[in-house]
Amino acid sequence: MTLLSRLGATLPQILWLLPLALLPLVVSSQRRTLVSAIAAAPADALSRTIGWALRLAGIVAIGGLILALSGPYRSGETITRTGIGAQISMLIDRSGSMNETFAGKQPSGAEESKAAASRRLLADFVGSRAHDQFAVTAFSTSPMLVVPMTDRHDAVRAAIAAIDRPGLDYTNVARGLGMALPQFGAGAAQVSRVVLLVSDGAAVIDPKIQGPLRAEFAKIHPNLYWLFLRTKGSPSIYDKPAGEDTPQAAPERHLDLFFKSLGVPYRAFEAEGPEQVAEAIRQIESLERDPIPYTEQRPRRDLTPWAYALAMAGLLVLVAGKLLEADLQGGSRAAAGRTAPDDAADERRLAA
Amino acid sequence: MKTGEIVYLPRWRPGGSRVGAHRSRDAGGLGTFRDQVSFLRLPDARRIDIRATLRDPFEGTYVRRFETRTAIEVWALVDLSASMRFEGEASRAELVADLCMGLADSATRIGDAFGLIGCDDRIREDVVLPATRQRGLATERAAGLTEVDFRGGSARGLVDAATRLAGRPKLIFVISDFRWPEPLIEEVFSGLALHDVVPVLLADRAEDENLPSFGLMEFDDLEGGGRRMVFMRPSLRRRWHARERARLDTLRRIASAYGRPPFRLEGRFDAEALSRHLMAT
Repeated sequence: MTLLSRLGATLPQILWLLPLALLPLVVSSQRRTLVSAIAAAPADALSRTIGWALRLAGIVAIGGLILALSGPYRSGETITRTGIGAQISMLIDRSGSMNETFAGKQPSGAEESKAAASRRLLADFVGSRAHDQFAVTAFSTSPMLVVPMTDRHDAVRAAIAAIDRPGLDYTNVARGLGMALPQFGAGAAQVSRVVLLVSDGAAVIDPKIQGPLRAEFAKIHPNLYWLFLRTKGSPSIYDKPAGEDTPQAAPERHLDLFFKSLGVPYRAFEAEGPEQVAEAIRQIESLERDPIPYTEQRPRRDLTPWAYALAMAGLLVLVAGKLLEADLQGGSRAAAGRTAPDDAADERRLAA
Repeated sequence: MKTGEIVYLPRWRPGGSRVGAHRSRDAGGLGTFRDQVSFLRLPDARRIDIRATLRDPFEGTYVRRFETRTAIEVWALVDLSASMRFEGEASRAELVADLCMGLADSATRIGDAFGLIGCDDRIREDVVLPATRQRGLATERAAGLTEVDFRGGSARGLVDAATRLAGRPKLIFVISDFRWPEPLIEEVFSGLALHDVVPVLLADRAEDENLPSFGLMEFDDLEGGGRRMVFMRPSLRRRWHARERARLDTLRRIASAYGRPPFRLEGRFDAEALSRHLMAT
């Protein structure tokens, strides 16, 4: 009876009038024709059916009107369903270098900055599957929470649309991750969780922060994807520096190593152009195919039109009944007008 | 309302000593010559038929007999059940009143007595008029039928009326629409079997021939039989007429077995038609 419990009325006291709907059982809308004996009418199933149909129509009409006056509605609710998708926390680099092209120049003409390319491609990614949930966090020197975890893709797209605004300063990955990770919240553990880090450079992660970050990763256990937008000529993730192999000398390589050491599923994608970015996003999309529970909001629904429609249906039947009505006097005139020969024969027979 | 005179002939030879208009079973000294009987059978020396006496080779003495004329009683048994309240082409109550006034008038005019018994579930004592020769009283009571309250659910009282009418044969008009169960018809007619019974069937064209052939009608039974929706259509109309004919055939069969077929009274009371019916059957 969950359906019944969700039904309500704006003016429930009007529903006290509902017993009036039984009136058609007592009173008829049709004109009464007094006859000396009802037994003269032959029993007829069709007539009986019509009689009951009219009575029912009367009940429906009165009941529907009372119901409509009381303003019925079905209250809103939140439904949890399961779809295919993932919770994706995007962590997007807003450092100044993101505004440059992949060639490391200021964009001019048809050229596209790294931020613009990732904006375009990520915007397509968002909403390609209906039940993905996204959080967007931007970071440069300090992290900025843009959109918390939500399934409102419009909001997410709007957030992504904003990431090609001129960036600021440096790349502080550690604090960005520190903000991106808690976005998952305390949800169901079996949901596939993804941290998507989009950056064009790396930074040293302070050993002091490494401990808490490891703990956080171990607790949330997300899949980590690093989309590294590599500027032409800059070192790759996998390049060993010629000199000393310290985080300061090769921050990309050491960030990669740090991620590998976290013990979570991790992949790095190195992209040197928009095509490679698109390819990387496609791969991520195909990797994350797990069931995800999602909630659906169903708004309160006004049922008054339905009640009026119900009453209308009943009234139409009643009007049809009224239009079909015949009476003895009118009938006698009509029959006199016709004076068909068989009628005359009938009369003679009856009169005999 | 002034109606024409209803002419009727009793089917039996009435007895009785009251002088009236009808040929009597009894023979007496006055009236139309009937036959000659032996003086020993009717020792009335004033009426000795000399010619017949002389003609008889056995020398018997003959006396002339003359038919006496006697009066009879005409009764109207009126069904006062609620179905008689029906008004189609004509008001059934007015038809009944017209008929009874005609009967009262015609009966008292020739010296017959007119009596009236109204019955619904039992005899309605307020609508009972013992047989009377007073024209004024008879017509007044007959006219009063328009004011009578038709309210009974059946006409069972007619069975009791039959016992009340025991005795000499009478001319009895049973006035009803005869919408009775068949056993009741049988019972009433058999109860009145000793009398000359004229069933007067009140019919209305609106109730049979002139029913509409198409349309929805909600019928309400005057006798409290409930309401019923009827979807009139040609096939149902035919069935209705067939039923109605079957009912009338049953009535005719029963009534004819006890005397006369029913007289159909509808639309307007026509004394001449009733007279013809009474003469012909």
